[in-house]
Amino acid sequence: MGRRRRRVDPADAAGALPAAITALSRALPGGPSAETFRRAKFDRPEAAPALWRLLFHVLSPRPADDAAALPTPGSAPPTHARPSALSPASSKAQARLVKSALRSQGYPRRALVQLPEDGSQGSRELLLALSWLLARGPLLERLLAQIRVRLGDEMPVCECEVLASPGPPAPRVEADGCVDIRHLQWLMGKLRFGWRNLITSQQEHCALLGKVHSYTRGCHSDRSLGHLSVTEAELLRDPEGGRQLLRRLESENARLEAALEWRRRELVFWQWMDTVLDACPPEASQPTFLPRIPERGAGELELVARELQALQEELQAVVETRRAAWEARVGGWGPGWKATQRASEEAVRQELTALQRAWERGGGLAQPHGPHRLVRSEAGTLGGPGLRATEVIKALRSREACLEAALRQLQGQCRQELARLVGALPGFIWILPPGC
Amino acid sequence: MRIMRGLSLRHLNKTETAGPGAVIPIARAVLVDMEPKVINQTLSKAAQSGRWKYGQHSSFCQKQGSGNNWAYGYSVHGPRHEESIRNLIQKEVEKCDSLSGFFIIMSMAGGTGSGLGAFVTQNLQDQYSNSLKMNQIIWPYGTGEVIVQNYNSILTLSHLYRSSDALLVHENDAVHKICAKLMNIKQISFSDINQVLAHQLGSVFQPTYSAEGSFHYRRNPLGDLMENLVPHPEFKMLGVRNIPQMSENSLAYSTFTWAGLLKHLRQMLISNAKMEEGIDWQIRPPLPGLPSLSKMSLNKELHFNTSIANLLILRGKDVHSADLEGFKDPALYTSWLEPVNAFNVWRTQRAFSKYEKSAALVSNSQFLVKPLDMIVGKAWNMFASKAYVHQYTKFGIEEEDFLDSFALLEQVVASYCTL
Repeated sequence: MGRRRRRVDPADAAGALPAAITALSRALPGGPSAETFRRAKFDRPEAAPALWRLLFHVLSPRPADDAAALPTPGSAPPTHARPSALSPASSKAQARLVKSALRSQGYPRRALVQLPEDGSQGSRELLLALSWLLARGPLLERLLAQIRVRLGDEMPVCECEVLASPGPPAPRVEADGCVDIRHLQWLMGKLRFGWRNLITSQQEHCALLGKVHSYTRGCHSDRSLGHLSVTEAELLRDPEGGRQLLRRLESENARLEAALEWRRRELVFWQWMDTVLDACPPEASQPTFLPRIPERGAGELELVARELQALQEELQAVVETRRAAWEARVGGWGPGWKATQRASEEAVRQELTALQRAWERGGGLAQPHGPHRLVRSEAGTLGGPGLRATEVIKALRSREACLEAALRQLQGQCRQELARLVGALPGFIWILPPGC
Repeated sequence: MRIMRGLSLRHLNKTETAGPGAVIPIARAVLVDMEPKVINQTLSKAAQSGRWKYGQHSSFCQKQGSGNNWAYGYSVHGPRHEESIRNLIQKEVEKCDSLSGFFIIMSMAGGTGSGLGAFVTQNLQDQYSNSLKMNQIIWPYGTGEVIVQNYNSILTLSHLYRSSDALLVHENDAVHKICAKLMNIKQISFSDINQVLAHQLGSVFQPTYSAEGSFHYRRNPLGDLMENLVPHPEFKMLGVRNIPQMSENSLAYSTFTWAGLLKHLRQMLISNAKMEEGIDWQIRPPLPGLPSLSKMSLNKELHFNTSIANLLILRGKDVHSADLEGFKDPALYTSWLEPVNAFNVWRTQRAFSKYEKSAALVSNSQFLVKPLDMIVGKAWNMFASKAYVHQYTKFGIEEEDFLDSFALLEQVVASYCTL
């Protein structure tokens, strides 16, 4: 799980835990105070709301801007907090999202699911959940990257991050009875208009960026950049804005230093978390998994392996029963169903690989993913490292062509299917809507 | 009938009162006509006001008209002048930082306005496929003098239905009545009619606040309007109703409350009245709980105008205190769209024109079903006897095109009828 063995200096031991917890609380954006952590170990109810809020913030996918709206421990909230689309209207909504996001990531403890949704209890369970998330992957680093202060005008060159993130849990709309297709068409139309309006605003954004970049040519102290970004231009225009930027940079520095501190001291935290886990009442049926450092080696590992296997068998059994039940419900499609299913899976796999290969052929971008800073340079100058816009455009165009070809093929298949259906029902005249 | 086309007037720069030496804002518009007279009149009238003007080189005209022949406008003038018109448009587009879309003002029943207008709209669809397009079309007088006006109308409507996103319809008869009854004008000129039209358009597209409780103005009214009213490709017909509309003299003696204005506006919508006088108050929304088919026939008998979606725009004093519950009644709307999705409201405290309080309602409803059905019927009768068809086939509009148009419009009528 990515935690290194480190020897704990006994002289440090007494102050080590509070220091570690303090570092963690300062590194986490919107992190609760160290006292909250301590209270959570004893499942104190007053610690719960802060932990619910923190987990909600950590688990809900939001645009990076919102990070500016988060209070850092000890600082006043900013005056122009932009309303987030997911700003929690109620603690119930927060709790629901936390539970469902943890479940979808595979969090094993049932006790969390059973917590009441008014946000009043469960601080110990929440603390366990937080530690589980911290241990699983680079959570802290991801959070810090999200709230990074960006000085340049940035644009993403790929959609990997967007595609990889789980996305907000879709609101479940129970369709009782039939759904009028006109309603669906209405919703599709709204999506299309939303998309077109988005393109318009993006074009406006680009046009204005272009203006700022060309008007501030020669103003940047860094010759390789040459011109100012919008943030930098604002800095010059409005000294108050400059002071705010400075404050943000300082608070980011403080967080990064706390994160480094945390990395040095985290072993003590994990040992403490073991005690927190022990303080819990034993779970009813499911085996619980908190990552433990195997201190004695092979024996422990084998124990873990056996536990894993038991869990897998249990899962397998559950899956089999579920699948059988579903297949029974779906109805006797016959043995041909399995074959067609396999065939279509294979076809999809082939299409996907073909698409990926076509993308790579069209010019896969060698540069790392993620947003890049926009720099406008004079025609003919070679410039420094980084992607050329022409390369990105070329790669995107080839991808667009691939996707359009795939779309046309799918549309052709749909048309064939429609024609087949039309032929199957005599006595009907089909009038397709305008534009088909 | 003249044709005037405007492009996204968003970036009409606002200045204070234009004194001598002040920069006079220039409309982001392109005017196209095949005859020079109307364009010259329009240009000079705007410039005379001293407060705004059209660009010097933003108009295109020829010396030869279209003789009220849609096919001539579409198949001859269109391709012939395509490039020049396209260049004019391109120049204006390049001046925009943000192009939200095109607003095309044209007539429906003539030759140039309708035929060339339809051609240009199609062109815009090809060139600027992501931009929004709204066509404001003038529905001809029922007793118009152009004998082929029904042919022209159906050809215009069917072509626009394919290449435009929304059709905002103004009926000449309705506007004429407003001038006569509400504005008390004796000799109604085109100028008076245009004033009413401009008032209606202004009441819709003037700035409003972007969200409840915010103080930022809406940045893309055209886009927001379209998203709210015409996302369904089969339902693109929009109508505007305003209240109050009256002459200056009457205004001095009137006071308005939001409750009164909205009550009248709601009844205007339900009873398909075009103005606030002579409203039929007998027409009521059907009772809830009826199965939809019987509800439909009941509505037909009652002449009840079912809406798909409505956008209410309120301007003036105490605008936030207006009670909108009347418009959120599900009985007003079709069964497949709930009021929370079907009804939207825009507000601003800034008064419009001389009215302390005013309201405009843009609706996507059945209001045009009867007039459309009538035009289609008349056109079909003419077509069945092949009257004047050769004038169209002479210029490349074949009988097939007529048939396609009929089919499309019959479908539109049927879709609106089965709400």
